[in-house]
Amino acid sequence: MRPPHPSATARAVLALVATVWLCTTVAWAVTGAGYYWPGWVVLSLVTPVLLGGSVLVARRRSERRALTFQVALSVSVGLVVTGVWALTGGDYFWPVWVYLGLAVALAAHVWVVPLLTPGRERELQEQVTTLTEARRRALEFQAAELQRVERDLHDGAQARLVSVGMTLGMAEITLADDPGEAGRLLAEARATVGDALADLRGLVRGILPPVLADRGLDGAVDALALSVPMPVTVAIDLDGAALSPPAESAAYFAVAEALANVVKHSGARSVAIRIACTDDTVSMEVEDDGVGGADPSVGTGLAGIARRLEALDGSVRLSSPPGGPTVVHMEVPCEPSSLKTSPS
Amino acid sequence: MRAVVAEDLALLRDGLVRLLEAHGVEVIAALDDGPSILPALLEHRPDVAVLDVRMPPTFTNEGLVAAIEARRQVPALPVLVLSQYVEPLYARELLADGTGAVGYLLKDRVMDVGEFVDAVRRVAAGGTVMDPDVVARLLDRRSSGGPVDRLTPREREVLALVAEGRSNAAVASALVVSEKAVSKHIANILQKLDLPPSNDDNRRVLAVLAYLDA
Repeated sequence: MRPPHPSATARAVLALVATVWLCTTVAWAVTGAGYYWPGWVVLSLVTPVLLGGSVLVARRRSERRALTFQVALSVSVGLVVTGVWALTGGDYFWPVWVYLGLAVALAAHVWVVPLLTPGRERELQEQVTTLTEARRRALEFQAAELQRVERDLHDGAQARLVSVGMTLGMAEITLADDPGEAGRLLAEARATVGDALADLRGLVRGILPPVLADRGLDGAVDALALSVPMPVTVAIDLDGAALSPPAESAAYFAVAEALANVVKHSGARSVAIRIACTDDTVSMEVEDDGVGGADPSVGTGLAGIARRLEALDGSVRLSSPPGGPTVVHMEVPCEPSSLKTSPS
Repeated sequence: MRAVVAEDLALLRDGLVRLLEAHGVEVIAALDDGPSILPALLEHRPDVAVLDVRMPPTFTNEGLVAAIEARRQVPALPVLVLSQYVEPLYARELLADGTGAVGYLLKDRVMDVGEFVDAVRRVAAGGTVMDPDVVARLLDRRSSGGPVDRLTPREREVLALVAEGRSNAAVASALVVSEKAVSKHIANILQKLDLPPSNDDNRRVLAVLAYLDA
């Protein structure tokens, strides 16, 4: 719940003080207009209002600053009051009541106020925890990806190029004595270069599919749909929404993984891909007419999607009753289109 | 034969030019960026254009876009598009005008020089050349309970080679069978897929590719 606007609260308090002042003054006039006692009533109202108000204003900057401000204010008031007591004769030590009041106010600030208004700070604390966790997962994911790329290069293209070098070296040696064998070695080297290129292509496809770089999410999803061995209906309406490159890539791989699951497990005859954009979210749905009963705890595909999307504040939901249909609903945040943010 | 070559990486551009010229192809222009492709093609009207897909300034698919635009303005202008990767979506876009004289190959295929020069000549002659990788992916997609599944393994091999744009003679030599046997296989395939029989190689390739891409 949001607190009322500060200026509205201030107006209400001022109105209350004015009303009390008016009533007491009327009462004073009716009762013979002697010593003007309503002055004390108003003073006793105005002082806490000013104190409280100034603390609240300071609090808008930060909780710690508000507390410091109130401590400083209390000490100043205490000193002034003590001075007044000393100057006025120093008999009965009435400032003790003021100290008590100030102490109660401070105690209220320290213990009671945070309990009454826990919302914002606790919310921020939770957000920090979530973000820290998401960042940790994103970094782990990135590190794992780099490790995978390194291993693929090492065992794939690099190894093949070493082998090409050796084969060419052997061809060089045999060339004079046995041209036929040299020719065979050269052909072998060429074939291995072809394999190395195929390895590299596969690797690149896993990092950033070229068609995604060329055509963006809609073109890349169209291309994905072409590779699915069943009728696919594709409805994409991004409405000019701009996905950050990591979000676009995560969205693409999420749809690709969901489609791969449909092909592998669902026994579906057709599949529908729907991608739509609401204010600040791109939602992607892959629905098939297969057997349903998909279990997200089996296999790593869906967990992989979830990890990747959650790192970007996205999410995955699976609905797969026995008998189908299976619907994978995925979301990822996006920048709203400039068209949408400008006033119409 | 006069050719225009567009490839932004100098190493590959020089290699392509050298390779083509060694086989009697005159390279009249060797371009290194996307925007210069269309004007060069319209000016020179080459017998064949060999274009890289990814070129400056955007490094996305300007080679492909230029090829399609040039063929819109000069129908059936022979274009062979090369790329580090092939995408059935781009094949579909290149084939969409249905006129032939078009090729789409992985750059890797350049390593088999004889095959590559043959592909350039076939495209220049109005034929269609499709990368085995694209054909394999189209076949994979069509192989789940459809008529393609009713083909024998041998017929599947023949279908793949036909879809790559090979003549009967080329299919026969690739599979080490007689040309007559290939003709028979092709007749069976066309019948099983419910495609009209055709002796025109190019029309047959286009029909098969259209069928696989449907």
